[in-house]
Amino acid sequence: MTLGAVKIEPGVKKAQIGGKLEQSQNDQGKMNPSSPRGQTVIEGQGVSKLFGETVVALDGATFNVRKQQFISLVGPSGCGKSTLLRMISGLIPVSSGTLELHGELVQRPRPDVGMMFQKPTLLAWRTILENVLLPTELSRKVTAEDRDHALELLELVGLADFAFSFPSQLSGGMQQRAALARLLQTGADVLLLDEPFGALDEFTRERLNVELLRIVEKFERTTLFVTHNIQEAIFLADQVFVMTPRPGRIAAVIDVPFERPRDPELMQSVPFNDLVGQVRKIFGNAAH
Amino acid sequence: MEHETIPGIGKSGTFSWGRIAKHMAILFVLLAVWEYVTATGIADELMFPQPTEIVLSVWPLYGSPGIVWYHLWVTMATVLAGFVVGTVLGIVLAALVGMSESTRRYLQPYIIILEATPRIAMGPLVLAWLGFGFGAKLAIVTLVCFFAPFVNTLTGILSANEPQIELMKSMGASKWQILTKAMVPDAMPLIMAGIRLAMASALGGALVAEFISSNDGMGVLMQNLTAVLNMPAAFATLLSLTIVGFILYRLMEMIEGTVVFWQNDDGMRRASRRREKYWRSL
Repeated sequence: MTLGAVKIEPGVKKAQIGGKLEQSQNDQGKMNPSSPRGQTVIEGQGVSKLFGETVVALDGATFNVRKQQFISLVGPSGCGKSTLLRMISGLIPVSSGTLELHGELVQRPRPDVGMMFQKPTLLAWRTILENVLLPTELSRKVTAEDRDHALELLELVGLADFAFSFPSQLSGGMQQRAALARLLQTGADVLLLDEPFGALDEFTRERLNVELLRIVEKFERTTLFVTHNIQEAIFLADQVFVMTPRPGRIAAVIDVPFERPRDPELMQSVPFNDLVGQVRKIFGNAAH
Repeated sequence: MEHETIPGIGKSGTFSWGRIAKHMAILFVLLAVWEYVTATGIADELMFPQPTEIVLSVWPLYGSPGIVWYHLWVTMATVLAGFVVGTVLGIVLAALVGMSESTRRYLQPYIIILEATPRIAMGPLVLAWLGFGFGAKLAIVTLVCFFAPFVNTLTGILSANEPQIELMKSMGASKWQILTKAMVPDAMPLIMAGIRLAMASALGGALVAEFISSNDGMGVLMQNLTAVLNMPAAFATLLSLTIVGFILYRLMEMIEGTVVFWQNDDGMRRASRRREKYWRSL
């Protein structure tokens, strides 16, 4: 386990005072040699979202996400983390700033971006297999190969025996596994996860987090993971976007240096908890 | 009318002769008491005929000359026609209203007022508009059957599952796909409950319509039999209506259970087997 230096975004103070976070953050992203892998997939420049005339859900978020990175967005409610995710998915438009995906402006939902929510939102009248096949079915006729692919994904998430069960016959954790299989069935290479295991109990959540890491690594996906749990955010991510509310903004970007694959025991270690402390401090500063 | 109240069927659905025997014994005692109090003159025999008399009057109703068949046919035709017209109108109108936010908002108060108005009280008005006869009868049953499916369908559409719709959108679903693959099936349990309620009120509506506006039908038969104080036959007619009502209710329950199969374990088991067969053969 490498325990690299923890870098706190130098623009934090500035962000609180004047909201001029963009430049310094970008610089950090480019300069930081420990940030792994590949080219930029998502790039936001001063992305803001207003609801109505006055409610600022997100204020000038500037960030970039590179290929196969795992990013956690962590913060209390009202910090704009879900809003940011929805804008990236193309479900809601940006109010100002530019948001690009593979160099193109995000304007509507796209097939290469997949989303998963806190609720499994499976269709109750479809078998698990049919739920997993839904994204395919929306664009074309389902073939025997699609079926086999979906069955493989169900095997991967540990639901091989439940392909022909209905959602209400599964536990909450199993339903989220099915939702994960459905997300993978979309073939999207950018995965947006909005507190996907937030409604599950602690034990199930931890187990599913470990499996999620295994799966996104195996499929080489780029992942944005929204959570309000600091430990979870750090445990999963290459980089944590720490977000603060009123108005919602990215207060800091923190690199997580721990080697992969990661074991849940990591969360007991001192460096890990130092990192948790750093994040907490950012929230503490923002509250004043 | 839940399953557990059907004699002989336990909560677990098991058939038990002991239970049947108990129910039979209670029924027999009730009938015997009834027979006794009317035979001894404690109750007026003219108004409350003895059970044996009622049973004896079944033959002239159903056998020879068999006057009940014609009236039963007329009433059932009214019930079914009014049920179909009212239900279809209700669902289609609700779908149209539900689609547009502003229509819905402006119609809302009128829907509430109409819902609070007892539909059957409009019977005489309908009679005045359409005149005496089948037309008025059909209109009354339609009116009675309209609201439950209408309100339930509207509610079903309005209580659309937002996360589900958002998910479909994120997967690039078209409006039509969202409607047919998510919203309609999602509203189906409510729609079916509305249809079942409509059927439950259709029979009552038809009978009242016949009381006020008809020359034939079971309602008229009841009136005629009681007018000439043929009480045993009137009771036998009432019993027929009970049986008809029971059959209609069970029928609707069966249809509902089949359509919204995912709300009961049996339905899911059957569907599960069917789907597995389909997918394996693909």
